[in-house]
Parts: sequence; C-alpha cells; structure tokens
Amino acid sequence: MAENSNHGMNRRDLLKATGAAVLVGGLAGCVGDDDADEPYEIGMVDSLTGTLEPYGERNERGSELALEHINDVGIGDDDRGLELSVQDDESLPEPAVDAARVLVEEEGVPLLIGSVGSGASMGIHESVIQGTDTVHISQNSTGAVLTEEPDLLRTSPSGAGKGGHLANLISDDGYDEVALTYVNNDYGVSLRDVFEENYDGDVLATVAHEEEEPSLSAEVSEMEATGAEAWLFITYAEEFIVFVNEMYDRGLHEEIQFYGAESTIADSILENTPEGSHDGMVGTSESAPEDSPVYQDFESRFQDAYDTSPTVWACYTYDAVMLSAIAIHVADEFDGPAIMDVIRDVTNDPGEVVNSLEEAKEIVDSGGDPDAINYEGVSGPIELDENGDPTGAYQVYEVQSHEYVWGDVLT
Amino acid sequence: MVDQLPAAFVEWIVSNGQLFASGLVFSSIIILGSIGLALVYAIGDFPSFAHGDLMTVGAYTAVVVNVILGLHLAIGFVVAMVVTAAVALGTDKLVFRPLEGRAIELLITSIGVAFAYRALIHMGFGPSSRSYDVGGRGGIEWIRETFGVTVTPRGATIVLTTLVLVTALHLVLQYTTLGRMMRATAENKELARISGIRTQRVLAAMWLIGGALAGAGGVFLGLELVIRPRLGFSILVVLFAAVILGGIGSVYGAMLGGFVIGMAHELTPMIGAAVGAVPLLPAFGSEYDAAVAFVIMILILIVKPTGIIGGKTSA
Amino acid sequence: MSLESRLRSTLAGRTEEEKRVLALIAGFLSIVLVLVVLGPVVALTGLPLPTLSISFIISTLAIAGMYLLLTLGLNVQWGYAGLVNFSVVAFWGIGAYTGALLTGAGSPHELELHPLYGLVVAIVLAAVLGFAIGLPTLRLRADYLAIATLGFSEIIRIIILNEEWLTAGGLGVGGMPTLVSTWPLSFTTPVLDPIADLLGAQTRTVHDLVFVMLLTFVVFLLLRRLQVSPWGRVLRTIRGDEDVAAALGKNTYWYKMQAFVLGCVIMAIAGWYYAHHVRFMTPAELDPIDTFYIWVAVILGGSGSNRGAIIGGFTVVIILQGTRLYNDFIDSILFFLTIDEAALRLLLVGLLVILVVRLRPEGILPPQREHIWPAALRERAGEEGEQ
Repeated sequence: MAENSNHGMNRRDLLKATGAAVLVGGLAGCVGDDDADEPYEIGMVDSLTGTLEPYGERNERGSELALEHINDVGIGDDDRGLELSVQDDESLPEPAVDAARVLVEEEGVPLLIGSVGSGASMGIHESVIQGTDTVHISQNSTGAVLTEEPDLLRTSPSGAGKGGHLANLISDDGYDEVALTYVNNDYGVSLRDVFEENYDGDVLATVAHEEEEPSLSAEVSEMEATGAEAWLFITYAEEFIVFVNEMYDRGLHEEIQFYGAESTIADSILENTPEGSHDGMVGTSESAPEDSPVYQDFESRFQDAYDTSPTVWACYTYDAVMLSAIAIHVADEFDGPAIMDVIRDVTNDPGEVVNSLEEAKEIVDSGGDPDAINYEGVSGPIELDENGDPTGAYQVYEVQSHEYVWGDVLT
Repeated sequence: MVDQLPAAFVEWIVSNGQLFASGLVFSSIIILGSIGLALVYAIGDFPSFAHGDLMTVGAYTAVVVNVILGLHLAIGFVVAMVVTAAVALGTDKLVFRPLEGRAIELLITSIGVAFAYRALIHMGFGPSSRSYDVGGRGGIEWIRETFGVTVTPRGATIVLTTLVLVTALHLVLQYTTLGRMMRATAENKELARISGIRTQRVLAAMWLIGGALAGAGGVFLGLELVIRPRLGFSILVVLFAAVILGGIGSVYGAMLGGFVIGMAHELTPMIGAAVGAVPLLPAFGSEYDAAVAFVIMILILIVKPTGIIGGKTSA
Repeated sequence: MSLESRLRSTLAGRTEEEKRVLALIAGFLSIVLVLVVLGPVVALTGLPLPTLSISFIISTLAIAGMYLLLTLGLNVQWGYAGLVNFSVVAFWGIGAYTGALLTGAGSPHELELHPLYGLVVAIVLAAVLGFAIGLPTLRLRADYLAIATLGFSEIIRIIILNEEWLTAGGLGVGGMPTLVSTWPLSFTTPVLDPIADLLGAQTRTVHDLVFVMLLTFVVFLLLRRLQVSPWGRVLRTIRGDEDVAAALGKNTYWYKMQAFVLGCVIMAIAGWYYAHHVRFMTPAELDPIDTFYIWVAVILGGSGSNRGAIIGGFTVVIILQGTRLYNDFIDSILFFLTIDEAALRLLLVGLLVILVVRLRPEGILPPQREHIWPAALRERAGEEGEQ
C-alpha cells in the first residue's frame, strides 16, 4: 500500500517537475535557420550593469544609431538587415566569458563585439574565441595587453598612443611637475604607465582610486599635498565629476591646471558640475576631426536621438558595428573566416574613403574587393594594424565657459 | 626634543586638517547608514545586505522630488525618509517576515532584495549620473579662515542634520516607551515578548526608523557624490565594518563605529604616512582606505570580540 | 531484472525529498535532451523552435564544476562546522592568482612553470592564509565572523590590486597554459580530439569539463567520507551546540580551524582551475558578489548536505546562465515596452533567489540520512524488505 502511493507521488511529481522545467528550459536558445530574408545576426557583450554601466549606456547609443544607419540600406545585394544580440557582462570578466559563450556557442554568431574592460575582452578571447573561427572585435578595451593578441581586433586604440600625447601636451605647456590620479584598473594603470614613460618632468604623486569610491576627498588631499600645479586625471566621467566638485568646493579650481584624457570629456560631466568649475581644462581624446562632415552628421543625429553629445566610447561602438556590417557585406560568406579575410582591408589603405555602409555599397558589391574601400569612422580612420589595433587620431580639447571646444589634431 | 613633540604633533594634525573635516562629513553618512543596519541586526536578527541599496532608494526618491518635480531638496529629503521607511517596512512584511527569523536564509534573501532594488532603479532611471538641484558648494568662509579647511554648506548640513537625527533617536530610545521596548527587544527578544512587549509593533518601528535613516543617508551620499544606481552598494561593506566595530545589537555602538570607520577611511593618508615612519613598515596612501577601515575593525574584534559596545548575550 | 523493478528498487530506499529532487532532475534533463535534439531538427527544417547546443552545454558545465567545488568548500565550513565565512572569493582568488603568477606568460615574474607548481603553492598558501585568518576570527560569534571574513576578503583584494610588483595589479595577468596542453594531461588529447569534434566543441573545453568534474567527484567522495567519520560527528556536535562538544572534552577551536582550512583549500583549488580555464585574471574578479553567489548556492542546495551543495551549485549556474537565454522571448512578449534587458535579468536573479529561499528555506536537498553510517541503513532496509 505504501509502495503504491509512493509511485503515484512519483508520477505526479515527475509531471510537475517537467512542467516547471519546461518554463525554464523552453525559453532557451534561439532559432537557427538561414532564410534569406532573415537579418544577419552578430553578437555583442557589453557592460550594461555593474561598475561600468554608464559605458554600457554610451555604447548602446552608438550601436543603436549604427544599426539604424545600417538597416536603412541593408547589407548585401538583397539588402538584408543586421541584428545585434546583446549580453551583459556585469562589468566583470567571468560573466563576460559566460555572455560570450551564449553568443558564440549557443547562438553561433560568426562575429562578436565585446567588451569594455580589458580583462573581460582578454578572458573572452582566451577562453571562448580562441580555437573557433569567430571574429572578435572589442569596442572599448584600451589595455596594452590586447595588442598581444593579433586576432583580437578593436576600434578603441591602445592607451599606448594616448599616453605619449598627454605627456607632450603637459610638457609643452611648461609644466615640469605633475600630480596624477588614475582609476585603478587595466585602463588606468596602462595609461599611467605609458604617461610616466613618456613624460620628461617629475610625477610628484600617482594616487590610485577605485571605481565607485564613496569618497575621493583623501585622494584630492594627497594630490594637494604635493604642491603640483598641474593635475592629470586618468579616470572615468563619474569619478571625474566627484573630483571636480570636490576641488571646486576647496577653491582648487582656481589654482590647478586640469588635464584629462578621453573619459574626462562627457556631457554628463558638464551637467553634474558647476559652471566655471574646470574652465581651462585641457585634454586629448580620440576623435574624427570635428569639422569632418561625417562626424558632424553623426553628432547631429546623435543629438537628435539622445539629446546629448556622443562620447568617444559611443563613437568606438558605432564604428565597431558599422565596420562589421561593411565587412559582412564584402565577405564571400557569412562566416568567421570569410569576414576575417576582408575586415582589415575594408578599413585600411588602399581604397576609396567611405564613411558608412551606404557609401561602401555604392562602390563595392557583396563579395567584392575589400581593397576598393577604406572605411573611416566617427572615432578616427581606424586602420587596423597586424595586431588588430586601430591607429588613433587624437585631438586636443579644452573646457571654455563650461563647454567643450576642440583644438589641434595631434599626429 | 620632547617639548617639541606636542607642537610637531599639533602641526601634523593641522596639516592634515582637511582630512579630519572630510572625515566628519563622511562619518555622518556612515553613521546614518549603520544605525539602520544595526537596528535590523539587533531586532530583526540578521544582517541585511540590502541596506546599501535601500540608501539608493532614498537618494532617488529625492531625485524625483527635487530634480523631476522641481521642489526644494529639503522637501525631497523628508519625502526620501518617509518613502524609504515605507519601502523598508513593506519589504519586511512581504519578503522577510515569512521566513520567521531564520538568519542565514534572511541574509540570502536580502541579497536578492538588494538586486531587486538596484535593478528596479536601473530600469526606472537608467545608469547615468545625476545631481540634485541645489546650491551649497564652496567652502564656508569663516571656517576656511579659522581652521584652514574646507567645509561646504552641504557638508555642514550633513553633519548638523546627522547630529539632530542621532540626538532625536537617542531621546526616543532613552525617554520614550517605544524606545524602551526597542532596547528591551534588542537585548532579548523572547524575554521581551513574554513580558508583554508587542514585538511586532517594535519590529515595525525599527524598520521605519532604520529605513528613514537609510533614506537620509542616501540623500546625503548623493549630495556628496553623484547619484547612480550603484550608489549605496558602494558603501555596504563599510557599513558592515562600522556596525561590527561598534558591536552588534548596540545602536550606540553603530554610531561610534560609524564615526571611527568613517574617520579612519578619510584619515588613511595620515595613518599611512605614520605607519611608514615606523622602521620596516611600508607607507601607504588613500588606495588602502577601505583596508584600513577593516583592519581597525578586525583589531578591535581581536581585543573585544563583541565590538566596542556590543555584548548581546542571547543567541 | 526488468526496468521497472530496477527503478523500483532504486527508489525504494529513498526519502520523499530525494524522490522529489530526482524527479525534478529527471524532468530538467529531459527538457535539455529535447532542446538538444531539436537542434539538428531546426537546422534541417527551419522550424522556429527553441534549441540548446551541445557545445554550449559542455562549456557551461566546464565552469559549473568550479561553482560545485566552491559550494562544496563552503559547505565544509558552514554545513559541517557552522562557520559563516564571507571570504570565499578571496581564497578562490588566491588559488587563481597563484596559478596565474607562476604559470602565466604575462606574469610579472616570468616564471612560466608547470601548472602543478601552481596547484601545490595554491594549496599551501590557502592553508597558511586560512590558518592566519582563522586564528583571530574563529573565536568570534557567527555574525562577527561573517563580517570579519568579509573584511579580510576585501583586504586581500585591495592588496592584490595595489601591489603591482607582486601581482601586476589592475593590469591583470594572462597567458596561462590550458591544462590539456601540459604533461601529463596532454596524453588525453588523442582520446579527446575525436570526441570534441563529434560534439562540435573544443578539445580543451571537453578536457576541462572532464577534469573539473572528476576533481569535484573526488572531493565529493572525500567529503562524504569525512562527514560520517568521527571527525565529522564532532563537527556536527560543535555546530549543534558548542558547549556540549567542549564538555565532551573536544578542542572545538581546533576542529573548527581544520574545517575552515579544508574549505579554504578547496576554494583555492577551484580558483587554480579557473586560472587555467579562462586564462586571464584581474583583481576585479575578487568582488564580494561572487561570495554571495556561492552562499546562495549553499543555502539553495541545503546546508550541511554535500549532494545539496552540488544541486545548489548547479542551481545558481542555471539561474545565472539561464536568465541569459531569455532575450528573444522577452523581446517578443514585451515588445511594446522598451525593457532594459540587463537590469531585468538582474531583477530576475534577485527574485528567483528570494523565491527559492521562500518556497524551500531548508534548501532543495537538505541532509537526508548522510549522517547515518551506510551499513546501518542497509540493515534497516533489509529488515523492512523482510516484512
């Protein structure tokens, strides 16, 4: 009697369990089919939550705009669209690998864009991409270590180039002493190292700070104690906001010359700091020349869509997506090896300069000659070298009357 | 040499004066957060890992009132306290109460609650940084002239308001029936219930007070930094250090712990230089500020395993 | 013996809960099987059906093994000895960094040693550090122990982040060799290559999967043995009521220290595996959030139970990875809303955690009869069979 009721319970339970498991498992995966009207699907790993989530948002804007422009004209002779399957890496390397695995192994994308942190990009590359034919482009990673992986392409230049420009900038302005604060991760440490190597003068202090610190007053005090008149901020916009406000409160903005890089220029900084809090600040950032019609068009479309100016990070992501679309268009097949075959050539010399998929399509058909075109993006000429790194085009910017003003292009 | 010591010492304190001033403001925020956490711990009997994100709730409530609706931040502050208190109580009733005091399960659940708060704020407001629409920047002149340090009207407001709130809490705890009941329940919940104290009411009061203080702390944190979904989470670990340092079960311990931890966090450059002056020990700077807070907490625990004031005897 | 009677005899000795869990697992596996089988079906016919790919399952399992090890390690500390340890990620990180710094091509020390060195040093280092941390903290009450260990975890993370001469700091360390490329494991390649090809996966992933699952199995057996041993019994007594154990003349502190160190060593081994699996390591990964996830795993699984730890580990992996597979579904159902999918996923994870703990606070598979010596169980079953 006891046995019968046990069996009954088992069958019922099995049914219940199956039902529950269906809910979980039944939503997994994605349709795989090659209907010609279906859009091309590529993957993106992005930091949508976690410490780098503001960058996720910036990247999203860049990729959304790129997709709009791409899908307005369509890829290939049959004008197929492009779809981006996005997974979150929570701003950490391990979830980044998990995210990449879903895209590469489950959804089988031939091209993956990802991610923001250099540790995440390296983790993805070493552990998911290597050994497959998947094309891998990082949209935001600037750590020097990515240069060691020639198959890890990126649209964000290595910090190596920038550091030299910054060093020259500060020296040329006549400062032979500088105090430096940097965000203590792959981005900040890389740039700090390159800066220190290239700077002729004395770095009186290198003050590390972490992302999302609850207080940066002690760091400011440490920099103040050095007596340096020029301070270099190698940090993200969010932390820079706190620094600027703190220094404004202490009246330091009138004594110190601010220097920064590509992340200390963002509309959100201007929105969250008082007028005059860092006028006179100087920095270098990658950019397409401000007077280039491409960039102006991009900037106005960006403003219309998001009511704010694009940061260089949005630009990198825009370029990564646009470059992918052009490469897919020119490639013989929609698979990793074919795309990899053409992707450098479509953005390098020789070739007629194009700034969008639309323009590229006018010159070359699907499966055509990649050397016929040379994509130059909104973040710069790109020009991927043998290490997969783009050449950066750098420009000086200044803060004047609490607005950003662009200056000389650096070579 | 010996009579030079005090002067050198004084000079050392003065030259690090800004660190002390910043420490006062930071401590105030920590105190507000850790009192709420201590209350949950003492009466609710578990460490709530959602407390940092509860502070974020307060910060964003004030954003709605001050930035979106355009009212003065003072109103936003009060509304933030009320709303956060309500959220805290609501979460307890909905999520925590059914688990009937099982500490570890409550802890795990509070992790889930933290995710939920953060995710909802992220979905509602997006990850970009925001600031309150209020002045109060720039150092107060007479403080600058007298002490040579910068304290902004914002900072002064934070310190003074915290003082007021803490004093109010002290008065409630010592001189009201509710306060006595809260203290009794914190001391020994079973005994309190047997002696007729309506523990449900006390628990509710505790969530409301703890939530309100968390909301206040969140607004102040947003005032000093920049408001983003992960705002409160960034100080969660520091809050725990403060509560443990002061001793679980003691609200006064949390106040003291918050002060010590907050000051230590800001005074790290001074501490690091002092340590470096000792032969064979390395100097360090602000990059170790969180570590310093923890080391102090651990040292206190070694000497007094129940924290400075703590000493709850019931299990 | 017919299938039915075989099934019946397997199920006969099981408790209700065990049966329920078995049913749940069976149900889940059938769904997975269906989804996998649908893969080629969809490829051939183009029907719009959900699928799961084998290579994805394999690589997910290869990292799941690490979660299992961590959960088993924490279970020794919490489930056996009642220690609330919040430094899980720190010991995992120590194991990972040891492996990385000793073997990584990108390591500042440029040693590029064999992974075995990394494993040995990781174990020793974890034991020593576990002992050092346990020394002042194990005397503390559970709540204090929790935050004290959390404090130590953060201190370790901050040291690793800032002492660049030792760890390369924020830059991270990369270039660790895969385990399958080193001796003696390289001998398995002739066997694994064809299997990997057949499954559409990479050899190193298949190898890592087998390796970590074997490792987990060995640790699991070891821990089960310990659980029923006199050592395990003493720990259970300590966990239940320390005063009783002390009254019985046991040095409770020393027993707790042993459990703590054992757990830390297992966690470090999990980290060492990670270093050779993902092959890039940064200080950012020592984020306390990962400690929280392992705690969720231990509690969801059922404290004190090794099988529960295994189930809990899998459950957390399923929650974390499973919620990634929803995007298409969410898009089609909630197309009228612009949903922030990443934040929604975070919300989902939080709600799932709250829900599972609420519905089954004791865990999916709390200790059943692990504490009873197997021989006694057989005897009892024999008696019942005779009736």
